[in-house]
Amino acid sequence: MKTLPIEELRELLAAVSRHGDWHLLEIETDLQQTAFLLNEAIEKLSASFMTVYAQLTDQQAALQLLADAGKLQPEEMQQLQVFQDSIGLEVNKVVTGMQFQDMTNQLLQRTINRVHGLKDLLHELSSHQFPMAADDEHEEIRRFIMQLNQNFDQGSQHLTGNLRKSVNQQDLATGDIDLF
Amino acid sequence: MAKTILTVDDSGSLRQMVAFSLKAAGYDVVQAVDGQDGLNKAKEKTVDLVLTDQNMPVMDGLTLITNLRTLASYQKVPILMLTTESSDEMKAKGKAAGANGWLVKPFDPKRLIEVVQKVIGA
Repeated sequence: MKTLPIEELRELLAAVSRHGDWHLLEIETDLQQTAFLLNEAIEKLSASFMTVYAQLTDQQAALQLLADAGKLQPEEMQQLQVFQDSIGLEVNKVVTGMQFQDMTNQLLQRTINRVHGLKDLLHELSSHQFPMAADDEHEEIRRFIMQLNQNFDQGSQHLTGNLRKSVNQQDLATGDIDLF
Repeated sequence: MAKTILTVDDSGSLRQMVAFSLKAAGYDVVQAVDGQDGLNKAKEKTVDLVLTDQNMPVMDGLTLITNLRTLASYQKVPILMLTTESSDEMKAKGKAAGANGWLVKPFDPKRLIEVVQKVIGA
């Protein structure tokens, strides 16, 4: 028995869906892995930063004791102050820079959610069940594609509506401050 | 006696950086992982300032502010948003909900402390 064109079309669309789904799964896996690596990186960076800062603070306290005991020359104390100021500036830069993960994580989650949405849309291709009449194939195929397109359009709008972009920062320059 | 600041953010690294900056400036810090956790902790102890993110699971920052403003003890406590959101529309929503200020991430610790000192003093 000859396969109806609409059935062939269903099979082709299902194959397209499977290909797309496989690639999206790979993308999702890579994004999850990236998020995991960034998370681990920030945890290790934060822990090391806290340790280094604590040791610097202890070192400065020890030097202050020496200064208070009059064991440092005025020029040495001046030099220490220069070091302290420089360290303070660098610490601020590190704290600002380490906020990258908050933003990259939000962007990655948004991308992962979009991938999920795309997978759902592609699933529509393989799961769509549209009633057909064998004696009017072309019209049925046209309606079938139109219905698919309509569903895609609705799904796309719904997906976009749920994926409002909350991170527009293009660099790690500090943000604006408004007091009301 | 040191003033207490409640910092609410679902990002652990961000909370850590905020807490680090505030503690270095001499403030006590209470941390919460989302709006609901922030609301619970705010009820346990009235703090001097709330610093909250906007986009969080369970309860977002605007909902937290709205809830806090219904509590008698939080009618006048300053609340600042610290968020990646930077649109005028979101800032207007924050102001309408009862926020006293809006800080866009990433923050510079020195500027953060200057703002906090301006709002609640050292």
